[in-house]
Amino acid sequence: MAKPKIAMYWTGGCGGCDVSPLEVGEAIVDVLSQVEIAFWPALMDAKRADVEALPAGGIDVALINGALRTEDNVEMVRLLREKSKLVVAYGACAHLGGIIGLGNLHSAQSLVSTALGPGWHAGSPSFSANGDAPPPLTAGVVPLADVIAVDYVVPGCPPPAQLIGLFFQTLLGGEMPSPGHVFAEEKALCDQCPREKEDRRLEKFVRPHEMEPDPDRCLLDQGIVCMGPVTRGGCEAACPALGMPCTGCVGPTRKAGDLAGGMISALASLVRAGDEGEDAFAREDEVLAGLVDPVGTLYKYALATTWKRRETGGEDA
Amino acid sequence: MAQPRIGVFVCHCGRNIAGTVDVEGVTEEASRIPGVVLSTHYDYMCSDPGQEMVARAIREHRLNGVVVAACSPGMHEETFRHAAQAAGLNPYLVEMANIREQCSWVHRGAAATEKASRILATVVEKVRGNLPLEPSTMGHSTKCLVIGGGVAGIQAALDVANAGYEVLLVERSPSIGGRMAQLSETFPTLDCSQCILTPKMVEVDRHPNIRVLANSKIEEVSGFVGNWDVRIRKGATYVDPDKCNLCGDCVEACPVRVPHEFEEGLTERAGIYIPFPQAIPSSYTLDVQSCLGLKPLRCSECAKACEAGAINYDMQDELLEEEVGAIVVATGYETLPKAAMAEYGYGEIADVISGLEYERMASASGPTQGEIRCPSDGRVPKEVVFIQCSGSRDPELYKPYCSKICCMYTAKHALLYRHSVPDGQAYVFYIDIRAGGKGYEEFVQRVMEEERILYLRGKVAKVFQDGDKVMVWGADTLTGRRVEVAADLVVLAQAVVPSQGVVDLARKLRVSVDEHGFLKEAHPKLRPLEALAAGVFLAGAAQGPKDIPEAVGQGSGAAAKALMLLSSPELVHSPEIAEVAEHLCSACGICAPQCPYEAITVEDTAVVNEMLCEGCGTCVAACPSGAMNLRNLADSQVLAMLHAALKEHEEAEVLGG
Repeated sequence: MAKPKIAMYWTGGCGGCDVSPLEVGEAIVDVLSQVEIAFWPALMDAKRADVEALPAGGIDVALINGALRTEDNVEMVRLLREKSKLVVAYGACAHLGGIIGLGNLHSAQSLVSTALGPGWHAGSPSFSANGDAPPPLTAGVVPLADVIAVDYVVPGCPPPAQLIGLFFQTLLGGEMPSPGHVFAEEKALCDQCPREKEDRRLEKFVRPHEMEPDPDRCLLDQGIVCMGPVTRGGCEAACPALGMPCTGCVGPTRKAGDLAGGMISALASLVRAGDEGEDAFAREDEVLAGLVDPVGTLYKYALATTWKRRETGGEDA
Repeated sequence: MAQPRIGVFVCHCGRNIAGTVDVEGVTEEASRIPGVVLSTHYDYMCSDPGQEMVARAIREHRLNGVVVAACSPGMHEETFRHAAQAAGLNPYLVEMANIREQCSWVHRGAAATEKASRILATVVEKVRGNLPLEPSTMGHSTKCLVIGGGVAGIQAALDVANAGYEVLLVERSPSIGGRMAQLSETFPTLDCSQCILTPKMVEVDRHPNIRVLANSKIEEVSGFVGNWDVRIRKGATYVDPDKCNLCGDCVEACPVRVPHEFEEGLTERAGIYIPFPQAIPSSYTLDVQSCLGLKPLRCSECAKACEAGAINYDMQDELLEEEVGAIVVATGYETLPKAAMAEYGYGEIADVISGLEYERMASASGPTQGEIRCPSDGRVPKEVVFIQCSGSRDPELYKPYCSKICCMYTAKHALLYRHSVPDGQAYVFYIDIRAGGKGYEEFVQRVMEEERILYLRGKVAKVFQDGDKVMVWGADTLTGRRVEVAADLVVLAQAVVPSQGVVDLARKLRVSVDEHGFLKEAHPKLRPLEALAAGVFLAGAAQGPKDIPEAVGQGSGAAAKALMLLSSPELVHSPEIAEVAEHLCSACGICAPQCPYEAITVEDTAVVNEMLCEGCGTCVAACPSGAMNLRNLADSQVLAMLHAALKEHEEAEVLGG
């Protein structure tokens, strides 16, 4: 088999994903020797016209990172889809909308006016008259799969080296799993977490900067909202192992479906677990009310996954 | 389900359903649901012809799913599942659609028919996703633990033992016998209580299948129905029962005197004692609480006096680990303690006593050999006031419930008083007379009429000491007059309350208690002898106030329930329970504390104990990664059911659907 032709493209995102393949270390040399880079603007100069010039299927695998925030993002990923045999959502933004997706808490217009000052309009190209106007924004941030068909996901913010390695190994091994596969564990992160889970009961929420957590005990048991129970494993619980809670970047387990939904169910179960009696609900509510920034905490990476459902009234969810 | 071939059977339930719901319309509507190959209706589906109709249809139409639209599954699910099984269909492919309790009984008009159709369509969707299941089975211990050696526990132990099964009878105090051993005569027959109880106690003592552990407490209970591990602390008695010849020399030698519990504090006992002569086990017990001291030894007079050498100060508590299959809880009752009651001078005025103290006085074996005396100075009381409902039926201050036995024992007390002091006068203050029981009403009538006892319907307002008299002020609500009695003795029918420590024991057994601390039965009407925790059975006053025949009846009933379990070759449990998808479970452990049956342990993954899980689904809702599922109630089934229930309600959104 000829070397697979690879594309790597960066839409709305921080750029961390674009350089993340270097995380795999020396192995990157092996990988690069076995692939042909068809398009990777960060590595080699190429323009949209070069992609347009390719025949359909001219790219074997397009790895797309970043969320879809601008109309330009949308056009470009549609073009890449047309030219690529396989499309991979690479990283949390392409997979779930990522942190960019929290922009959906505000209208596109208010984001532009806040960032650039009054007088700028989110969707009006006419304002580019002065040459500095941003490209028109989409109404809301959406993940890649809401716009084009996505074959695989390499999740994470950015994808951890293990999962990048796993993806290239599988690709170069030639036996790809069935479409829709997420290159991470089926089980939640707790499976890989070294911390001891004992007292499964939440008395109050504590934010990470408010305490130095016990090094051995489960962070949730200590009151820190750790998204581990709803998040796919694969990162070897990198954050919890170092005392920081999982924020859910690898995305929900297959059946958790919705990160926040799954976590709300988990938290509601843990809060004062075992309490009974008439005032139990009130005391539970008191604890739950202590959760600071619920959307930013529970939907840190996945708020954009709800956009399409919101726009269409849930018909396709 | 391969190609669904679902049969729908709609029940009229006479007019119960058909009077409200258009049964034919519902039948017709159901026939249009894809996969439904037969839809029919009948007057009484649960009748023999109705069941036969289902069975025949299963065979003739090769049905692979059945929905019976009738009453609650709690009523007839078993009926139809058995019928289906007999016809060759796996019983777990049969479901009930409740169009009676949840529809025809609570709705009216066309909307009821519409709702019945939706309920039915919903259950058709469930059956479509059901899988054939087989019940779980497991082996079990054949030993029975009976906690509490009162008459209920004694009866339970004897019945189980006589059926050929081993019994451990654990009693907290030094002797079995319980309250009944303290009583004088029993109502309404006036049998001598001890005379009819002691033969049973002796039978327990010599029964080869019963092991009595007196002076013992349940320390810990783990495991589950059929397979409990029980840790029992057998308290040291410091007397070797094999050597003790019951001579009583130790009692003479002992310098300590404390109130005698068995005599309700009317007399004193030594630090070493036997509660009563017929005690089982028949041996003295050294009570470390009142002894001058064992560690270090401060006295040793009893050992010096003991010629048999039975006293061993080095005796230790024994910790016994026992495996048992069934547990009968018969921890009995006590009466509202003096400390809890300030009214009526109880605890302050010497001549105000409780019903139990009176029992001891009236007992031929009691401290006065059956003579009624005033505790203050020993004189024979000429005027005695009995006050019923002391602490009972008093929701403001004490217990809202009726203690049930007081009307009867007060009548008996009054009668015994009149027999003991023929020229004395007895008064009874009462709210109502509750004498439901065989021969009970006749007994009370006899006491009222033949014994010339003055029954005054009303509450007592005040009781106070006046010289050597106890003044009782009350009202007779029937005549509307104030009543004042200068009494020599006042007897209070104290409220019946659960034995101390029962809440703690209940927690160990995972049995719930009601707001008053009485053990809670699984169903107040239909499962009065079972706790919700499978394999734990309740007998006697631990579950609520009871008289002797009821307690004995419950003892036998609980024994029968326990025997059903002990004698079954293996435990069988419904397979409709939670199941862990091991490849998805990360062992996060969130499910475990949610389980009300403590059926989940967390190892490499969560593990559901198939005998304990009742299929409530709490863990399924709690599981954040969808690794916990309820068999035959998968997410896909629930969603299909919701879609069916909300069909044509466009504005309703099924989240995640």
